[in-house]
Amino acid sequence: MPDTQALVNDFLNKLKKRKIEGSQATAKQTAELLRSVISQTRMPYTNQAAALIHSVKAVGERLIAANPVGCMHVMAELAVGNVVRRVLHIIREEDLSLTTAAMAGLNLSAESDDEDDTDRDNHPALSAAAIAAASRSTLRPPSLQTLLEDVPDSAAVPHTSSSGGDSEGKSKSADKSSRSRKLKHDVIEAVNELIQDISTCHELIAEQAVEHIHQNEVILTLGSSRTVLEFLCAAKEKKRSFRVFVAEGAPRYQGHLLAKELVTRGLQTTLITDSAVFAMISRVNMVIVGAHAVMANGGVIAPVGLNMVALAAQKHAVPFVVLAGSHKLCPLYPHHPEVLLNELRSPSELLDFGEFSDCLDFGSGIGAPLLHVVNPTFDYVPPKLVSLFITDTGGHNPSYMYRLIADYYSADDLVLERRTTSGN
Amino acid sequence: MWWRSASFILDRQQEQNTSFPPNPESLLLSSPPPSMADSLQNPKPDISAYYQTRAAHHAVVTSDWLAQAQAAVSLQTNDDVSSGSDGRVALTGGGTGVDNKTFSVIDEFNSWRKQPDLAEAVAAIRALAAVIRASQATTMMELEIELKKASDSLKAWDATSISLTAGCDLFMRYVTRTSALEYEDFNSARYRLIERAEKFGEISYKARRIIAMLSQDFIFDGCTILVHGFSRVVLEVLKTAAQNKKHFRVFCTEGRPDRTGLRLSNELAKLDVPVKLLIDSAVAYTMDEVDMVLVGADGVVESGGIINMMGTYQIALVSHSMNKPVYVAAESYKFARLYPLDQKDMGPALRTIDFGVPIPSKVEVEKSARDYTPPQYLTLLFTDLGVLTPSVVSDELIQLYL
Repeated sequence: MPDTQALVNDFLNKLKKRKIEGSQATAKQTAELLRSVISQTRMPYTNQAAALIHSVKAVGERLIAANPVGCMHVMAELAVGNVVRRVLHIIREEDLSLTTAAMAGLNLSAESDDEDDTDRDNHPALSAAAIAAASRSTLRPPSLQTLLEDVPDSAAVPHTSSSGGDSEGKSKSADKSSRSRKLKHDVIEAVNELIQDISTCHELIAEQAVEHIHQNEVILTLGSSRTVLEFLCAAKEKKRSFRVFVAEGAPRYQGHLLAKELVTRGLQTTLITDSAVFAMISRVNMVIVGAHAVMANGGVIAPVGLNMVALAAQKHAVPFVVLAGSHKLCPLYPHHPEVLLNELRSPSELLDFGEFSDCLDFGSGIGAPLLHVVNPTFDYVPPKLVSLFITDTGGHNPSYMYRLIADYYSADDLVLERRTTSGN
Repeated sequence: MWWRSASFILDRQQEQNTSFPPNPESLLLSSPPPSMADSLQNPKPDISAYYQTRAAHHAVVTSDWLAQAQAAVSLQTNDDVSSGSDGRVALTGGGTGVDNKTFSVIDEFNSWRKQPDLAEAVAAIRALAAVIRASQATTMMELEIELKKASDSLKAWDATSISLTAGCDLFMRYVTRTSALEYEDFNSARYRLIERAEKFGEISYKARRIIAMLSQDFIFDGCTILVHGFSRVVLEVLKTAAQNKKHFRVFCTEGRPDRTGLRLSNELAKLDVPVKLLIDSAVAYTMDEVDMVLVGADGVVESGGIINMMGTYQIALVSHSMNKPVYVAAESYKFARLYPLDQKDMGPALRTIDFGVPIPSKVEVEKSARDYTPPQYLTLLFTDLGVLTPSVVSDELIQLYL
């Protein structure tokens, strides 16, 4: 597949050079890339789903491994991993619905199981969570209901059942080849839907604006987020009149751009410094912010400064509302979010180098500069500080995030990188 | 104070009034009809059998403890004999009774329960499997009724054991609701049930492994973990972490009165994990050194809170006030349909406490063996269904019993 390789390399280059900004663009382009990978994957007669999963996983691993961030463990651009997992889930789901539809009534869940078993055999890499996932059944999330039922059956005899699947495949090869084309077609269709969802998530979220913003309210936000901009403008278009306080969001000062944009759309806007948030919060009715990623426990990875805003909001019992498209839902738990999920940017955003170059001189005294500049990009906001998430499917409580995640991802795909186990 | 409220005082007065005169009519209304359950009661209802077994399995052997244990063993056998004669249920099929052999689930359960490496729910399900094997029912309906009777008598025998109740409920649900059983003839269905029940031990072991795997990401190098009492799952988690070459140290509470924490510290020392023993009251003192609290659970209730050995609530409160995460490791078959509102909401599970010195009879002793930790003090639950927030538990339970 030379074409896809070229595409993947191209995309990787763009990621590394940060030519793609923002999680929505990244998510969308990842999905488009994976779509072309899928369409160019050659389908074998048997185990089509496994082949698709294999090629998508291979590309996904490369994308994640080549992440711009220094720490190898978790990617800063979580959206890439999320989309890869979503696509894998789509393949599994389409395969299951096809097998059940094709031979309704026969024992088909067994077949889809063994396809995944062989898939697992191809990857003996077995990280901790992968083993955990492998010992549970395929698409159905594990539950108390199935505790007594199938678990040992599917895990006990993968080899015999998969060879049985092969012979069956030969006998029905004509039927199967039509099925394979159908599978690919269905998967591409579903990925198209996913791309559609990613590009329309702003509108879906903005539609809900009037339910949350009321007449004469004061809204506070920090930095700039396109979702927030659309959300506020949607409320304005529905003839709500309200005021917006924009904290400027140092050191990138994207709040300035947002304030400008809001004013051109005719909204009453007040620009404040980040350090004035606590002073102003008592006048605010609601804090509305965007997010970089939403973790499985309902915690938020958000632009730096938002944890402070969330704490201020909690102190004054102001609702803290986070807007996030469903591609930002990440099925991982934050371990050390301050360090691992963060990205340290260039000091030039804080300081003018010419003025401070003396302080940063490596040649002076002890061989290290006396002045250090730390410029983290993200904050971790714990779930208890968030009042409400607004996603394209509606408003949700932080403790409900796990349910959305269970809908979008399958347990087998949670761990995509294999090297992390040996690294740990 | 609710017991000082007017309505409560009025209620209590009324209660005393009605119970005082031996009015035959009110007696008839108030006293419950004598039922089977009464005859099947645990002969020593004031002592929780569950916690007695736990103590027997996990407490530390000292010389005076050994003496006590021997005394307890002789007591136990007496118990078994008496409970056997009390709890004997005739499980022969109605008229067809070829041999009138009686079979007691409770005996069966107790014999399984004596094995220290067997979880309580596994023992319960094995005992129910034995009921199926001994049963002479010829239809599914009959079998279900017999099983229902057996599981009810088991539950009534030891109401303090949440795993026992949860295990019985889980198996009964499997028997009544599984669609796979519907299309089979009776014998194969029966065979299938027995086979699944035997496999449950394996499932329980596998659950423990899954939990250990899932929780590895949460144990980071250089962390200090506070554990309370002895729990097989917690031990498995720590063992796996040690095998994965993680560097961590463990603070073990003593776990009075069984001193089960000593047992855990012994096991960890064998694995070369640095351990420090604390007396139960030193938890707050050491909490600033602790990075996370890891406890097991006797039962996980519908609110997402846990019921566990006495002292867990206290530890959770301390770590909450010091902003430390509290993780619970529990197998999903410990999820129980209970919704306690406060500590005294559940039936008391009492146990004997040895203070070493004679206690005057006027002094009251708090003998409860367990407490309830509300969900707001728990961070995450590690279960074989995945890493869950407390609110997921009720979701799972609702799906199961819908």
